[in-house]
Amino acid sequence: MTNIALPRRYALPTWGLALVVALVAELVYFSLTTRHFAGHGTGMLVLTEQFVPVGILALGAGMVILTGNIDLSSGATASLSAIVVGTELRHGTGMWGAIGIAVAAGVGFGLFNGFVVAFLGVDSLLVTLATQFIATSLATSIGGESPPYGFSDMFQRIGTGLVGPIPAALLLFLILAAITVVLVSRTGFGRALTLIGYSRSAADYSGIRTRRTLVIAFTLSGLFSGIAGLVLAAYYNSARDDIGTTLLLPAITCVVLGGVDIFGGKGRIAEVVVAVFFLGFLTQGLLISGRSSLTVTMITGILLIVALVVKLSLERQAGESLGGALRRLLSERGFRRPARQR
Amino acid sequence: MSNRETRGRGAAAPPVEISNAETIRPAPAPTTYRRSWSAAFLRRELLLLIVMVAIVLASVAHHPYFWSSRNIAFILADSMVITFLALGETFVLLSRGVDLSIAPIMGLSACIVGFRAQDHGMTLLPAVFLGAAVGLVLGLGNALLVAVLRLPPIIATLGTLSVYGGLQFVVTGGRQVDHVPTQYTDLGSETLTWGIPTILLIGCAAVLVTALVLRHTMFGRSVYATGNDLEAAYRSGIRTQRVIFVCYLVCGLFAGLAGVIYLMRTGSAVATTGTDTDANLNAIAAALIGGTALTGGRGGAFGAIAGSVFLSLTLTAMVFAGIPAIWQPAGVGAAILVAVLADGKARRRNNTFRLGRVRLRRSS
Repeated sequence: MTNIALPRRYALPTWGLALVVALVAELVYFSLTTRHFAGHGTGMLVLTEQFVPVGILALGAGMVILTGNIDLSSGATASLSAIVVGTELRHGTGMWGAIGIAVAAGVGFGLFNGFVVAFLGVDSLLVTLATQFIATSLATSIGGESPPYGFSDMFQRIGTGLVGPIPAALLLFLILAAITVVLVSRTGFGRALTLIGYSRSAADYSGIRTRRTLVIAFTLSGLFSGIAGLVLAAYYNSARDDIGTTLLLPAITCVVLGGVDIFGGKGRIAEVVVAVFFLGFLTQGLLISGRSSLTVTMITGILLIVALVVKLSLERQAGESLGGALRRLLSERGFRRPARQR
Repeated sequence: MSNRETRGRGAAAPPVEISNAETIRPAPAPTTYRRSWSAAFLRRELLLLIVMVAIVLASVAHHPYFWSSRNIAFILADSMVITFLALGETFVLLSRGVDLSIAPIMGLSACIVGFRAQDHGMTLLPAVFLGAAVGLVLGLGNALLVAVLRLPPIIATLGTLSVYGGLQFVVTGGRQVDHVPTQYTDLGSETLTWGIPTILLIGCAAVLVTALVLRHTMFGRSVYATGNDLEAAYRSGIRTQRVIFVCYLVCGLFAGLAGVIYLMRTGSAVATTGTDTDANLNAIAAALIGGTALTGGRGGAFGAIAGSVFLSLTLTAMVFAGIPAIWQPAGVGAAILVAVLADGKARRRNNTFRLGRVRLRRSS
């Protein structure tokens, strides 16, 4: 009934395939109904600049969620990174130096989260809730009363520049996504990540250094938050202390929509990447066709719930009919993991 | 933490010997419950009280005005909104869930009640019922998703957070509540009963009722049992999903009432009320600081009020000490960390048990 969902190499993932179909359908729909959406083909690519930071956050969050933990601090860390890079640039630090400091801040927070979660055994929801508050305060105090704005063209190019027809930000996201996909699905680290999420004690007993793996996962999440903060600052050419906090929920939505089990141990980063594009284009398409942002927020929320219900009812046990799976889902205690509630 | 729970479905357990040992727990004697509860109460609330007294003493030493009845009353009355939210959240946390959608529930209730009061002059009593009804309906949405459709609470309420937040924008339609009848704001800050702000008495009454319900009713005990060990609770005849369902309803109810309290305190409500001040996280933080465990089954109503008074007290003390208020979130974060670290160690000590000559770590 429950298999350890390590990547099956030769079977096409159903959920991912469904996402790709939905993505294509959505692109076609918006291209036909909304002017300016396709924009001679390249306009669609430029739209991606809007949701690349969410995607980068989702990559980190995906890895953390695969281990059965959660990182609520990634949005605030992205804000902090954006503020830090902005302030450093305004103070005349060189571009690479500023970027280095900002990313280091993200990595620092990730390391701290990882250490507390892995070595002190505190629930990650609590730890990252706390560090989220701390990162927000830090960002607000560093930003001060007049948050930095107006950066050099060179730096802005990270957020708005083009490499051929492809936005630099999209390229950055694709590179990071490729690295993450390979890391999670093709390396021992990725296997360890998934196994920890499936069963921490099984991972312990099979000789995996679970603590180290957890620390690395959180650190990578912090690193990606830092990079997302850079892209945000470069894209908006300014940094505010809440610039990244609003990205947390969409990022987690992408991860869940991408089929990653919120309890860990199941999921593919590649599907998360498809979900990022699906949700991103959906948001942008709706906004361009004149829907208000609150409608888009509501649709995102409903989509999250519906996707989850569909996915849970599709997870059939061996030899079970679709209706049977639904009935099991609705019965008093038929659910696969009754004791796991969070 | 990250272990897959395999209890209760024998076939689901991986065919490894260890995982069977992992599922063994000490027999849950019914008395352990009460003992651990009172132990937690003594440790956490007493500790919190000592810290709060220290903060008050330090502040009074700096500024004698801190110990004026007006200031103390302000601190206590100001914590009432978060107290109500944290009370509701306590039910959900005790049942081993989490509700991230209470901020927009509070905001929606404040907006709906506020508009009725502002435009149609609704009096207080119907306002309370309307607020409670709004909270119940929205809580019902969460309850259906979590207890009937079995979605993971964190994801389900994350979804309803977006949905309810959007609804709040729809309800306000760009307008805002800014002049509710004075009846509301008077009760929120001016009215005294026996020299105590009335709103504080209302809050204390709510805490007392909640504490009684949690400690001395069938339902309350079932909430603890469900959160402690869902499978064990189920096998001992508790309708666990029904308990969880009611917990989310109660949480919505309290959030709806918090909206009315918010209206009394501030006399205003806008489309972003609740979400813009992180009411969600503050309420969860208050409950956690007050000793309610995220892992379910531990904590109580007094922790909710202790935690929210603590938050309010630290904010005021920081203002008195001349620390910019922007550092308050960092203080909250640090307080959560300290609280759970002190707790986490205690938990980890009990987290191993002997099986013959082997020490094993328990799951979860």
